[in-house]
Amino acid sequence: MSATALAIALVLVASAPAAAFSARDMLGREVALAAPPARIVSLVPSVTEVLFALGAEARLVGVTDFCDYPPAARAKPSVGGMVNPNLEAIVALRPDLVIATTEGNREETFAQLKRLGIPTYLVAAHHVRDVTDLIARLGALTGYQQAAGPLLVHLERRVAAVTAAVAPLPRPRVLYVLWPEPLIVPGREALVTELIRLAGGDSVTAADADAWPRYSLEAAVARLPEVILLANHGANTGPIDEERWRRLRSLPAIRDGRLRRVDGNLLHRYGPRVVDGLEQLARAIHPEAFR
Amino acid sequence: MSPHARLALTVGGLAALLVAVAAAALFVGSAAISPGAVIDAVTGRAAPASVESVVTRSIRLPRIAVAALAGAALAVAGVAFQALTRNPLAEPSVLGVSGGAAFGVVIGQSFGLGLTVLEAMGLTGLAFAGALLAAAAVYVIAAAGRGTIQIQTLLLAGVIVGIFFSAAITVIISLLDVNRLGGVIYWLLGNLAPIPPGALGLFAILLAVGFGLVLSHARELNLLALGEESAQQLGVNAERLKLTIFAGAALLTASVVAFAGPIGFVGLIVPHLLRMLLGPDNRLLVPTALVGGATFLLVADTLARNVVAPAELSVGVITSFCGAPFFVYLLRTRYRGTL
Amino acid sequence: MRGTEPGRTSLRPPTECRGLAAPAPVTPPLVEFRSVGFGYPASARHRARPFRLADLSFAIAPGEIVGVIGPNSSGKTTLIRLLTRVLEPVEGEIALEGERLQSWGRAELARRVAVVPQGVPRELPFTVRELVLMGRYPHAPGRFFENPADVAAARSAMEATGVLDLAPVALAALGGGETQRAVIARALAQEPRLLVLDEPTAHLDLRYQVETAALVRRLNRERGVTILLVSHDLNLAAEVTDRLLLLAEGRVARLGTPEDVLDERLLADVYGCDVRVESNPTTGRPTVWVSYTTDASPRCAER
Repeated sequence: MSATALAIALVLVASAPAAAFSARDMLGREVALAAPPARIVSLVPSVTEVLFALGAEARLVGVTDFCDYPPAARAKPSVGGMVNPNLEAIVALRPDLVIATTEGNREETFAQLKRLGIPTYLVAAHHVRDVTDLIARLGALTGYQQAAGPLLVHLERRVAAVTAAVAPLPRPRVLYVLWPEPLIVPGREALVTELIRLAGGDSVTAADADAWPRYSLEAAVARLPEVILLANHGANTGPIDEERWRRLRSLPAIRDGRLRRVDGNLLHRYGPRVVDGLEQLARAIHPEAFR
Repeated sequence: MSPHARLALTVGGLAALLVAVAAAALFVGSAAISPGAVIDAVTGRAAPASVESVVTRSIRLPRIAVAALAGAALAVAGVAFQALTRNPLAEPSVLGVSGGAAFGVVIGQSFGLGLTVLEAMGLTGLAFAGALLAAAAVYVIAAAGRGTIQIQTLLLAGVIVGIFFSAAITVIISLLDVNRLGGVIYWLLGNLAPIPPGALGLFAILLAVGFGLVLSHARELNLLALGEESAQQLGVNAERLKLTIFAGAALLTASVVAFAGPIGFVGLIVPHLLRMLLGPDNRLLVPTALVGGATFLLVADTLARNVVAPAELSVGVITSFCGAPFFVYLLRTRYRGTL
Repeated sequence: MRGTEPGRTSLRPPTECRGLAAPAPVTPPLVEFRSVGFGYPASARHRARPFRLADLSFAIAPGEIVGVIGPNSSGKTTLIRLLTRVLEPVEGEIALEGERLQSWGRAELARRVAVVPQGVPRELPFTVRELVLMGRYPHAPGRFFENPADVAAARSAMEATGVLDLAPVALAALGGGETQRAVIARALAQEPRLLVLDEPTAHLDLRYQVETAALVRRLNRERGVTILLVSHDLNLAAEVTDRLLLLAEGRVARLGTPEDVLDERLLADVYGCDVRVESNPTTGRPTVWVSYTTDASPRCAER
């Protein structure tokens, strides 16, 4: 064996992790496990959806109160909310892995889990490619890679169908309203911004560096949006107050009657249903393309 | 009965109650663990990685310790501050220090500290830095160029500094990333959580220091009730007393915010409860507040984490909702007069 | 209570050491004010101009009852604050038992000089016994609880002022006269050489005024306590004191016996009111008469 090959072999041997199965999470942290995880607690509704879509729900032993899709997820034991999951409940489920996100879970929770010796795998998604990355990673993590492949192919096909349908159409200025008061809109780092682009529109708030900046109503209106999308947030929120928007009669969006509601659960989560959300966005922005 | 005996008996009785409550709290929690398993975990017979071991030793025990230490610190700070300002409405948050400490923590949470243990120390450090800033501001305002602390000004300064930092926190919240918002607001509600042994040890040491500062001046605090001038004419160094008590109360309050979060009402209610039962002598009140405050907050926290399990109420909800009516009842039946 | 403490040397040599055939030895004064001056800082809110005490000189001999009288803002309360080191003089010196006041520690000073303020703060939650025991603090500031010697001293003080029966009673439940006696007991518990009473009869009715005056005399004659009595009640001062110090606008207007000081023209100058001074038929001491209607005291009405 050549000296170089020997050196490479030695390096590989020396750097082999002590754990039999280790992974790097989406924040680049090394997560060391003894074996592929068999008891997973998911603190992220998106992750719950992905695991079910992959068929890996048998490995899921705990979810949050917000993990409501698919309906079968509600049957899983809950460990509490995303901000304040119950540590005792988590420990009692004897998980070998907790999957969480820095956007919605608290860092104190990660510190506590680390102190209790429970490995934590962190995820985050700002772009559509992150969603495919997440599905692939979770497939590899749970050993359900075979399911990941076809799922991704199917999702990519639907995305392509949407982009093809809207390609020839003019791109309107779109204002997406996550929350009306205070007015919260998607910035550059929000997944919705890219979805809007794929759906054939241009978010008027795409230039902002934050993920979900606050805007004054004036600033948003000054951009003269041609389409206004109001997001709802799950079954227990009241009707969206459309009146305050309809009053802005001089806006192109109101003048042309392009004020629509969209289901936030499809657009703020980053599971497989994000494609459903994309299709809904495209229908809202370009209804004429989808008769 | 000699005063020493009376003190020993009262504190001993309350301490026994504290131990009993702490022991009971070990057996209740959202993870259904049988009493036998809990005992196994405590005595070391259970495997270290078993559910009962982890839950009992790494979750319940540290949380009980935090609740006891925080309750003790808040109650002692409350007694000290009420005696210092001769104002029955005084409680640790009126010092202004907890506002500064909370501001420090919120800053840290907004910028994403807290991921590793080291960064967790950073949050605590930020809390103390904020507390120090607030305390310095209060002192400067209260001393106002004369070099002596005016008690009335101290109260006002504390309130104003507290309001200022509250406003600063509100500004941060209004600009904060939506994803971080939930976490910050959750912290601001005041929830106890288990902390690592190193932090517990540090908390205990700081409590001991603050308690020592206040206890060693308990007799002088009694004399202060006669008025500063009369106390001075009895031989009390009033300036040094004011500074020492302020420092002690500030240290205790800052420690609570740093290690346990912003918890109100305990520092107001426990001193008054004890005063109604034991009288106005601070030499009795300070040590009993240590043990009584610990018991009080421990009971409240145990309720908070069990009444709607697996969800948790924040402990401040329990202390306010349950403490307030009970306090009113005592007020009507046993009130002997103010401070 | 009398005599110097071991270890405390007086500035004046003991009389035995003087080799001369001296006249009757002069007793060293207990307290001496030498040209003391004081002014509150110019930023004091309540006064139009900064208050000053100027060139205040007088001495209190052991065993005396000295009274301090004068109009409001003449410096009576400031004098007490200077004596108890609540304030520091800007000019001059104060000596206690021959030693500069600044060289006395606070607790030490409190074992020599006790102040009886005007009553207690409203709603003070303590009992008489607890209040009186507070007077024991200067004897052992480091001690946490009072010891049996403290308790005995407190008992003795309460007996002297006749409040022993009221020991377990809350101060809030007492009337003005009883409260005053409790406060005097607290001062007595300090076992002082000098007892300073600040307007002791200010809010008391006639009976308690008489009682307090009698108590003060009894403490002086039977227990040998030197008394400094600050009062606006000229007739009380005239009856009870051996010497009087009349202050006016921060300066000594006169220092002497009540007969010397309570002079009609002097009082009219200082107080700005026409008064008449006559001899009290019972005691022989001067009595000050003033009429509260305009025709008899025209100068008062103009002010």
